[in-house]
Amino acid sequence: MTSAVTIPRHGGTGGRTAVAARARQVVKAYGSGETRVVALDHVDVDIARGQFTAIMGPSGSGKSTLMHCLAGLDTVTGGQIYLDETEITGLKDKKLTRLRRDRIGFIFQAFNLLPTLNALENITLPMDIAGRKPDRAWLDRVVETVGLAGRLKHRPTQLSGGQQQRVAVARALAARPEIIFGDEPTGNLDSRAGAEVLGFLRRSVDELGQTIVMVTHDPVAASYADRVLYLADGRIVDEMYQPTADQVLDRMKDFDARGRTS
Amino acid sequence: MTVLKTSMRNFFAHKGRMALSAVAVLLSVAFVCGTLVFTDTMNTTFDKLFQATSSDVQVSAKGASDTGETTSRTGKPPVMPASVLGEIRKAQGVKAAEGTVFSTAATVVDAQKDKLGSGSGPTIVGSWNTNDARTMKITSGTAPKGPGQVMVDADTVKKHHLKLGDDIGVINAVGTHHARVSGIATFTVTNPGAAIFYLDTKTAQQTLIGETGVYTSVNITAAKGVTDAQLKKNVVAELGHGYKVQTAKEIADANQKSLKSSLDVMKYAMLGFAGIAFLVGIFLIINTFSMLVAQRTREIGLMRAIGSSRRQVNRSVLVEALLLGFIGSALGVGAGIGVAVGLMKLMGTLGMHLSTDDLTVGWTTPVTGLLLGVVVTVLAAYLPARRAGKVSPMAALRDAGAPADAKAGIVRALIGLVLTGAGTASLFAAANADKAKAGSSWLGLGVLLTLIGFVVIGPLLAGGLVRVLGAVILRIFGPVGRMAERNALRNPRRTGATGAALMIGLALVACLSVVGSSMVASATDQLDKTVGTDFIIQPDNPQNGLITAQAVKVIKATPGLARVTEYRPTEADFTTPDGQTLKDTDITAADPTYATDLHKKTVVGNLKDAYLPDSMSFPEKFAKAHGIHLGSKITVAFKDGSTAHLTVRAITSSDEVIDQGAKYTSLATLATYVHKMPLDQMVFATAKDGQQAAAYKALKAALHDDHPELTVRDQTDYKKALKDQIGQLLSMIYGLLALAIIVAILGVVNTLALSVVERTREIGLMRAIGLSRRQLRRMIRLESVVIAVFGALLGLGLGMGWGATAQKLLALEGMKVLEIPWPTITAVFIGSAFVGLFAALIPAFRAGRMNVLNAIATD
Repeated sequence: MTSAVTIPRHGGTGGRTAVAARARQVVKAYGSGETRVVALDHVDVDIARGQFTAIMGPSGSGKSTLMHCLAGLDTVTGGQIYLDETEITGLKDKKLTRLRRDRIGFIFQAFNLLPTLNALENITLPMDIAGRKPDRAWLDRVVETVGLAGRLKHRPTQLSGGQQQRVAVARALAARPEIIFGDEPTGNLDSRAGAEVLGFLRRSVDELGQTIVMVTHDPVAASYADRVLYLADGRIVDEMYQPTADQVLDRMKDFDARGRTS
Repeated sequence: MTVLKTSMRNFFAHKGRMALSAVAVLLSVAFVCGTLVFTDTMNTTFDKLFQATSSDVQVSAKGASDTGETTSRTGKPPVMPASVLGEIRKAQGVKAAEGTVFSTAATVVDAQKDKLGSGSGPTIVGSWNTNDARTMKITSGTAPKGPGQVMVDADTVKKHHLKLGDDIGVINAVGTHHARVSGIATFTVTNPGAAIFYLDTKTAQQTLIGETGVYTSVNITAAKGVTDAQLKKNVVAELGHGYKVQTAKEIADANQKSLKSSLDVMKYAMLGFAGIAFLVGIFLIINTFSMLVAQRTREIGLMRAIGSSRRQVNRSVLVEALLLGFIGSALGVGAGIGVAVGLMKLMGTLGMHLSTDDLTVGWTTPVTGLLLGVVVTVLAAYLPARRAGKVSPMAALRDAGAPADAKAGIVRALIGLVLTGAGTASLFAAANADKAKAGSSWLGLGVLLTLIGFVVIGPLLAGGLVRVLGAVILRIFGPVGRMAERNALRNPRRTGATGAALMIGLALVACLSVVGSSMVASATDQLDKTVGTDFIIQPDNPQNGLITAQAVKVIKATPGLARVTEYRPTEADFTTPDGQTLKDTDITAADPTYATDLHKKTVVGNLKDAYLPDSMSFPEKFAKAHGIHLGSKITVAFKDGSTAHLTVRAITSSDEVIDQGAKYTSLATLATYVHKMPLDQMVFATAKDGQQAAAYKALKAALHDDHPELTVRDQTDYKKALKDQIGQLLSMIYGLLALAIIVAILGVVNTLALSVVERTREIGLMRAIGLSRRQLRRMIRLESVVIAVFGALLGLGLGMGWGATAQKLLALEGMKVLEIPWPTITAVFIGSAFVGLFAALIPAFRAGRMNVLNAIATD
């Protein structure tokens, strides 16, 4: 299986499609000739709007690369990537930057916040950069949702790791991006703090209708998602809907075993 | 893959990180070595010249100077009768003796009345002789013969585009002599810059002295086997002690000595500026190593955890400094030779010819350069190295850098405040001092303490000032401005040190500009208040230029003038009421109208009375020091004259700059006691009412035609000339300070570049969430501008404080007016903002090109 296209037919509807982002025949390769390494090998994928998608796979499977390419952080070697109806492959840095600023939110594993800015300033940073006024009511709701109301004036160093990640979630949500990408957002957190952050992500999908794509290697984290995509050797090898942690773990073990026997 | 990429990037960043520090060391060392090589080369050049041009033994008149330069107040060199030649020839061991006549007190002009000087060296007119023929070759035409011919040195011919047959005028105390160029002589040794004109001996005697049968010097050649010293002994035995007899070596040494004193001034001034550059460089090096250590905190922590001792860590940093210092200074020594050659070329454009063949690099030069560079670098790295040694093994486990040491901050603030406070107190003491000497000590102490105080307290001031700047300027730039402000504030020590480096140079600029413009303002003010005459006539050559009697006649004959005052200083030995005899003390003789031309305040008496026969005036300070009162009788033994007993009729205030310390008497009194009247040094002319403009024009025209060696200025032009003169001096000092400022700018570039490397992840994050390249670059530029403006504010504030204090102190010497040159200060301030922009160019460019993915690469 090299394709995870849920809706083969697309476009032409005029309004917002049910697909927030899609990749078509995306290839990402490093080096050339003998040393050529293919990180993504003709990947087709559709990210459904208003859903929580998890991307899983062993180290070196290309899951992070796929996310970086979808988010416009990295360039592709071949194929196209669309954000809604905008093709982002081939966009120049200026447009790509604006796209990230206005339409995409990010949550990284670590170092999500600028140490010189306090929590609130970090949350509104993308809008500040864009020169937009944040929507007060929405901001309050987001802040409340992630439970940071009392800590907005704190600097990142005065916050715990979990709180810092919640600030990062709030920042991603505050600008109401079309899609939020998370790169192991709970990778540096203990299980309680991780569960908290994942809970917020889940709620933002359920209550706010947010689209989220998250790269993870943690089956528990993946179980919060609506759908899990499995990557191996730069290809999508499987997918699963409404997963539970056990199911995910079983599937992982399965891949692992197959990888060892083949 | 990423590992390799990151380490490559680290490597290059590392190289860049060291490169700027190395450049700072290089520049300072290059300046030091350049100065040493240049002055050594000058020494070699002149040494060679003097060795080559001196005859074995030279006899000159008693009054001649040791260096053979023969000038006097009369405008004619001291001479000996020609008969001396016969006596010399009688001495044992004399192979040959030839009498010559030379003068450096003549002005030589071409047919257009343009002066034919070299621009840097003396203008010498003399007799063509066999001694000079040894070092000069006639390359065109013939040697001068008869009154109508003159031979010119090739450098002067080239500089002034002369050719054979051109008319040349020699103007001096005797009169004006015209001749045509008959020949061109080229030096076979390097002639650094004398313009030489040769006449035949008889013509030289008549032109320069006004009589034949006299010589200014006699060149003696020793017979075979006779040493110069022996020959000198023999000649002295024959002539007695009425003459000056010198061997070639003695003349060369005397010249070398007089050259050395002027070269030393230049050498130490330039070394002083190199020292300032070093001082500024220290900040750069400290910053570099501090950042290096901070960036490696985890690495060092790991080293400590696995068993490295503090000393080992400490030493590893110092070894890096040692390497940096060595490479920087080694390159600096090389560059220093380039600097020296550049200086020589520069001198060439000013008319001083130095040959690279004489380039002298003594062993002390590279040793000094290397030692200085290495020692300074290692010393500067000492504090960061110590900090590295203090990194705890726990740092390996911590994620971010350790929190700042709050206690050290308080200690620092206290020390800084105490130093600044003490410095300010010293400055106050200096400003209120009533003795210049004590005051200048206070000033020096105050300058030093406030400087150190500001450096120490800089990081704290950075916090406050950057916030103010943020509120004033950065707010305009929205979130980008706010981030720039926060970035400048996040490490106040770094911002403080970077700003302090810029502060040093700019403080000196500000201080000197305040002193300079106060000087001009004070002098202008005094001129306005005291000068009661319209025109001031002075020779262009202030050292030995004089105004001849013929010129005075021309001035007096100019229509429209109400009065002309002559002014001639001379020397005499004074015996004062306190019983002291003061040798060679100056006394100024002038026409009685001088009391009107310059309204000098008197403490007692009337200045006009000082011009009565056998009368004089004294300045207050001198009078006080030697117990002189109104009516005291002073014994004055005039040089080349008899002894007078002059009555003190007035005591002038010492409070004025113009003619400060002058003791006045009348020309008539002087004439009574001296054999040969000195020539005028200045002449003052006052126009009849309402005819100022016409008289000025007439004077200018008359002097241009007959006496181009003189310049007449009215008060406006005089003030302008004064201002230009001080402006020129200041420009030169600013030029030398530019080195320190360049190093400081490198420091800003360095800090930014290292900060950018340090903040790779942050920058990546911001780019990921949508900060555009342009915004990112602007953020870095703004940070840079803030740092530069911070440094400028400190520097200008400090410098103006120093300048104002210096003015208050110098008010004791008559510098009464404080003038802050706001245009200069504003220009420096605005310039510093541009410096900030400029310094950020490369760091901002590099930050813009950084890979966004670096932020996410969790290694």
